[in-house]
Amino acid sequence: MSKTDTIWSQLDRKSTAIAEFTMRQYRTRISTWVVMIASVVALLLVLLFYIEAMNTEIEAIDNDGDSFDTDGDGYPNGQERLEGTNPDSPESFPDWVEPDPPEKWINEDDFDWDILVEGVNYVGSDDDGDCKNLDTSSQRDTNDNNVECDIIVDVDTLNSTVTITADSSVDEDPDEDKYGKEAGHRAFILGIGKFGIVYLLGIFLPLFLATGLIREEISEGTIHYMLAKPIARGEVLLYRMLGYIGITWPFILIVCLVLCLITGFTGPGDGIFRWEDVPVWMSIAWAAMLVSLVYGTIFCGFGIIWKNGVILAILFAAWELGMAFIAILTGGDSSIRYMSVIGWGMIIVDAGAAIGWPDNWQLVEVGLWGGGHGEENWLGDVSYVALPGAEPLAVFSGNPNLGVSNWLAYVISTLVLAFQGFMAWFIGQSIFKGKEVN
Amino acid sequence: MMPDVSQQGKMETEEWRPAENAPVIMFDRVSKTYGRINALNSVSLGISGGVTGILGMNGAGKSTLFKLMMGKVRPSSGAIRLFGVDPWKNPAPYSRVGFVPEHEKMHDWMTAFDFIVTFARLHGMTRDEAAKEASRVLDFVSLSDVMHKRIGQFSKGMRQRVKIAHALVNDPELIILDEPLQGCDPLARTTIMNVIKELGAMGRTVLVSSHILHEIERITEQIVILHKGRVLALGNSHAIREMLDQHPHKIALECENPRELAKSIIKIEEVTGMSFAEENKLLIETKHLGEVHKKLPKTIIESGIKVTSIDNPDDDLQSILMYLTGGSA
Repeated sequence: MSKTDTIWSQLDRKSTAIAEFTMRQYRTRISTWVVMIASVVALLLVLLFYIEAMNTEIEAIDNDGDSFDTDGDGYPNGQERLEGTNPDSPESFPDWVEPDPPEKWINEDDFDWDILVEGVNYVGSDDDGDCKNLDTSSQRDTNDNNVECDIIVDVDTLNSTVTITADSSVDEDPDEDKYGKEAGHRAFILGIGKFGIVYLLGIFLPLFLATGLIREEISEGTIHYMLAKPIARGEVLLYRMLGYIGITWPFILIVCLVLCLITGFTGPGDGIFRWEDVPVWMSIAWAAMLVSLVYGTIFCGFGIIWKNGVILAILFAAWELGMAFIAILTGGDSSIRYMSVIGWGMIIVDAGAAIGWPDNWQLVEVGLWGGGHGEENWLGDVSYVALPGAEPLAVFSGNPNLGVSNWLAYVISTLVLAFQGFMAWFIGQSIFKGKEVN
Repeated sequence: MMPDVSQQGKMETEEWRPAENAPVIMFDRVSKTYGRINALNSVSLGISGGVTGILGMNGAGKSTLFKLMMGKVRPSSGAIRLFGVDPWKNPAPYSRVGFVPEHEKMHDWMTAFDFIVTFARLHGMTRDEAAKEASRVLDFVSLSDVMHKRIGQFSKGMRQRVKIAHALVNDPELIILDEPLQGCDPLARTTIMNVIKELGAMGRTVLVSSHILHEIERITEQIVILHKGRVLALGNSHAIREMLDQHPHKIALECENPRELAKSIIKIEEVTGMSFAEENKLLIETKHLGEVHKKLPKTIIESGIKVTSIDNPDDDLQSILMYLTGGSA
């Protein structure tokens, strides 16, 4: 007995017959290969940009301007402040030490924050000493918490706000390359995962592979062989879908696995491989599998209803595209996404990202804060200059926002998608049952 | 969808059994309309056992009749029972039915063997059973030697035989063949006719549709004539044959060398005339269609000339219909 026999024999004989038949049929169709090869090529092209970005040094910016030598005495302002001389006077300089090269005062005070929790957090440390060296205690504690040179972060998950109030010159000159690579890497995974894999793969695979699953058999007349057997039409639909996922699910898994390996080895980090990305890729794959199953069942039903069902499928895909944008761009703040398939897929990815990268939202907030430099408007609100990569990461990151834990959000959205798939099958088979096949 | 771990035994569920004494096919005042077209008009039929020919012109309602039996379309009025069950609502009786559709399209990418095995498994057979049965039926239609070739490479006649074989794989009690002889070469016609006759001799109920009387005559004497959606006549073909023989008939042959072939065919005494209509076409005139059709295959084979098709242009069925309808056909 061959291996396939032992696996398949666990299932019903008719279901395996139709599922196997469907999978073999896919292999003979050009459209199957076209859609798969086109998706792989498109993903590889995007991947090239990623690899290019990961291998390009992000230019370091002197966020606090202390590498300049304002008075022209050869000592950078930061060093003069540390040594207690006047950075604005050419006569005042620390002649007891050698002048630092200006690069030493770029990226010299990076973030060193613990994982933030709900409520008020006290984080930060003044690595370069330019806060501790300030003259008065009140200058050293501008955020008035009686701790000198620290940062208050008020996390309010109820209103999804994070308020950062820092003492002056604490963590004010972060490392752009280090931050930008990490944020860019995560933004790439979430961006390509949410839009490229969950939405585009999730919609194009079923558009090409599922719409004709029953329709082509009807228009070619080959459905007569299947319908002349003691098998209910609902079963035919179900087992055809089984064959469909037999092709699409392994494809999605392989695509995600390959991307996970490539980005895991080329991405930033201390280890050889970024293990923390694995749960994120797994949730992307799982979301894409479920979404493509639901779309596939819906599109197959469209094909049963109307011989030009692909038109209905494209209209539906347009609706879902809008929903995908809303779900991605609002980061989970919009409730209209519940009225879609893709919205629930995005919740799975967001929940997976929150599990794999528990510090992700913090990374976003820190990057948008960027060391606390920015312009104050007439209302007194400061618009900070974000670090490179922070804005893309903010766009593609989201919050499951179901008001439950990430794991539960994962389970709930899986169940919702499974229910959508079941309903699509149920409606599809009811229509199929009442359809006259000529 | 019950799990079937053991994969033993013939069926995974309890075999479906028909109601006792239920006729194989029962049509009770069945009508079917497509929009404003009346495809079938109050047809009542009861068929059990033997080979029955369903005879009718294109559009007479033969295919609609079969589609109703196979639960593909729903009757507009009236009741249909297949082994006592309404086929539109319940596919269970198909475990005892073999259906050969008229459609030419098949899964060309499959081998004949795979095609039959796949659909045999829809009857609930295991892989092994299906493979065994597939070999048996392919042997029955004399296709054992090419069973591992792709259907796409097959000739029309071979494809018809694959379709018939696939319908026999579950050892059905009722076999429905929709235009099985259409477009077949003479050899395939003979094979298919023999297969059908054999099935009849095995005690199966066989329904064959055709629009050519002499084809049906060579298979069975029991015929149903459909015309414009109604059952026009029901019964023995001999009676019909007798009234037809007084009319002259034409047979058209398509072949490589019609003049050469004509020399052999003129020796058949029932042939009263011949003409060369177009290139590669030979027209034979006769008053005894049945006799000529009996002798024709032997004559063609002896002449050694390749004949690609045999057709009756002035359809003999047309003549019957003229007679039966009093000239309104």
